[in-house]
Amino acid sequence: MRFDLTVLVPHLGFLAEGALLTALVCGLALVGGVILGMVVAIARTSSNRVVNRIAAAYVDLFRNIPFIVQLFFFYYGLPEIGIFIDAFTTGVVALSIAGGAYASDAIRAGILAIDTGILEAAEVSGLSRRTIFRRIVLPIALRTSVRPLGSVLINMILTSSVLSTITLNELTGQAKIVASDTFRPFEVYFVLLVVYAALTYLVSLGIALLHRRLNRDLSEPVG
Amino acid sequence: MLNVEQVRKTFGTVTVLDGVNLAVKPGEVVSILGSSGSGKSTLIRCINGLERLDGGRITVDDFDVSKPRELAEARKRSGTVFQLFNLYPHMTALQNITLAPIEVLKRSRAEAEDEGRALLASVGLGDRAEAYPAQLSGGQRQRVGICRALAMRPRYLLLDEVTSALDPEMTSEVLDILAKLASGGTTMLFVTHEIEFARQISDRVVFLEKGVLLVDLPTRDFFAAGGGLAQPRVAQFLSKMRKD
Repeated sequence: MRFDLTVLVPHLGFLAEGALLTALVCGLALVGGVILGMVVAIARTSSNRVVNRIAAAYVDLFRNIPFIVQLFFFYYGLPEIGIFIDAFTTGVVALSIAGGAYASDAIRAGILAIDTGILEAAEVSGLSRRTIFRRIVLPIALRTSVRPLGSVLINMILTSSVLSTITLNELTGQAKIVASDTFRPFEVYFVLLVVYAALTYLVSLGIALLHRRLNRDLSEPVG
Repeated sequence: MLNVEQVRKTFGTVTVLDGVNLAVKPGEVVSILGSSGSGKSTLIRCINGLERLDGGRITVDDFDVSKPRELAEARKRSGTVFQLFNLYPHMTALQNITLAPIEVLKRSRAEAEDEGRALLASVGLGDRAEAYPAQLSGGQRQRVGICRALAMRPRYLLLDEVTSALDPEMTSEVLDILAKLASGGTTMLFVTHEIEFARQISDRVVFLEKGVLLVDLPTRDFFAAGGGLAQPRVAQFLSKMRKD
């Protein structure tokens, strides 16, 4: 067998379409996952028992079911009871929900790690709970949770390849088509793995930058 | 007037404060002495509403700290400086100071920052406004902590062992500032182990022992043979602290 990438040239545009769709789905799902993660982390650290339980149940539920099963349930199961959601929306929502469960754990750990003395200082200075959360709790929690959160986000990108199973022709979906058209699975999947690696590398780079920025007080020289 | 009346506080089966009475008038500097575990810090934490009372009443300018509605007003009138500084690590010295004035007192950013810089300059940190807590020494952090409390223009400054986490050199830089504040007429309730310093700056000294306020006397009387020293526990405490 010869390794010849030129056979893919006529299909590059087609593959790029898939890559773009992957980027779009992931972009939306990452935002959705992080927002959901924050909300759930807040709920899980809340002193309200009911809110707390519901949030914990959500996290347990979605972490304990294979993603592909959740996806099939949303896309092939729900129409049976009259709920039709298109593949793109299903993909974004399912990925956000699943990712949000993991993201909330990372953020929650960051919240719980905050020194209570700092929160007491904020409390006695008369700041409202809302302000304390927005200006103190969240920024400090993100300082520590941004790295684990990064792993969650990268995992979401990798998981997005499963979306091809619900007719959403993102990168993996398109690649499968090209592979069966050209009979050159080696080259096709070689390119695929390079593109995924590049995509996730970009995200980890962004996370590293964000981590540096959030912890800039610890990295800058004293003086 | 800061009034502590018959305050009781228990943690489980341990009684930490047992019927404490204390009144601090505006302009007064009152030091609280006592060995570790005597309830000094708990008393401060009751006054600023961090602990719920199990009995009695605390009012700050007639605002009852046990009533949620009045607690906010009471807290606006008192400022707390902590043993471990408790600065916000992700904010610069200046941001630490201006956060509450802007958010709680609704002051304009420019006004709050001007005042914050002036406060920092007054404690010798005029050039460190943009530094983060991690970039400051312990003494510098505590000076920022004092500025943060003062920025709210509190009528009562609560100081909870503010030099206990500092080495002697840093302790003196912080005490110098407190001495300046005391002579400037700032009302202070000062929990400390720095006995000599307490003697120099306080109008009154109180002594807590196992949650009971044993002695409450003007400073000179407290250290006089026939006054506070007449109490065996006080004499014992003072002689031990001075030996250390």
